[in-house]
Amino acid sequence: MTTIAAVGDVHLDEDAAGRLRPALGHIGDKADVLLLAGDLTRHGTVGEARVVAKEFSGLDVPVVAVLGNHDYHCDEVAEVTSVLADAGIHVLEGDGMVLDLGECTLGVAGVKGFGGGFEGKCGTAFGEPEMKSFIGHTVAAADQLKSALAALDCDVRVALTHYAPVPETVAGEPPEIFPFLGAYQLGNAIDCCDTALAVHGHAHFGSERGQTPGGVPVRNVAQPVINGAYARYRLPT
Amino acid sequence: MAEQSGTAPHDRAAELHRALAEDPRTSELGVTVTMRGEQVHLSGTVVSAERKAEIDMVVHEAEPGLRVTNDVQIVSAAEPTGAEDIR
Ligand SMILES: [Fe+2]
Ligand SMILES: [Fe+2]
Repeated sequence: MTTIAAVGDVHLDEDAAGRLRPALGHIGDKADVLLLAGDLTRHGTVGEARVVAKEFSGLDVPVVAVLGNHDYHCDEVAEVTSVLADAGIHVLEGDGMVLDLGECTLGVAGVKGFGGGFEGKCGTAFGEPEMKSFIGHTVAAADQLKSALAALDCDVRVALTHYAPVPETVAGEPPEIFPFLGAYQLGNAIDCCDTALAVHGHAHFGSERGQTPGGVPVRNVAQPVINGAYARYRLPT
Repeated sequence: MAEQSGTAPHDRAAELHRALAEDPRTSELGVTVTMRGEQVHLSGTVVSAERKAEIDMVVHEAEPGLRVTNDVQIVSAAEPTGAEDIR
């Protein structure tokens, strides 16, 4: 049995520093790994990244993260990523890593992902360059996720994204904005491999539970959805 | 604002929603704005009481004449009690 702790959309900045720390002190008793599903900061500044780094460093479990759209806002992605990496947080973007948890090996493939929408109600790479570039980013992210999942040599495989791979876990949001919340291509990527669990954030008004067309459990761990410091999922090994 | 009195309520709500997202003091995309006459209702979640107050401030500056009901909730940062067994 492996226990995954996961949270997204903590949206930390200098004023919110230390908010989650009391709940993280004994996380090793509760989980084997902590996954961060993006939107770790409010504006994606280096200063905010330092707050995130402090919040999630020195824990007794490994921490694996993807960034979210808020973490891209100030165009400091490389700097934000290195501040987190220096604090021991593994930041994934189109790649994966395998953790040896003793009882089993856990592989995590991560990508921010993007919008585009879900089957039958989605954008296509047609027309203006802006539209082609929008959907092009979605398709590239899904392709990266698929390759990263396939490359993992491990016992248990988990997919980590910021954007949603299925519409079920964005239910609760206005349907008009679904195309900005996730994309079906991410769900198809998750289905390509034997994935045990997919975790995402971004849809603050969404729902916690859903599954891909191939039956992989999907969990929306955006903090407003789980209403706690993190959620815990036990996976058979 | 006088020039907005003829604007449809959903356009004014959309403008407020955009202000809350784009104003660097808030940067909140997760707030639902509903207008009824000169009343505005705000719902959603934020991480602290300060952020809830900042939302009030940005809405008030954009539309000083509105009566604001701020029902935004503050999200819990508590340790979870249970765990879900997957399959
Ligand atoms: Fe978010
Ligand atoms: Fe987001």
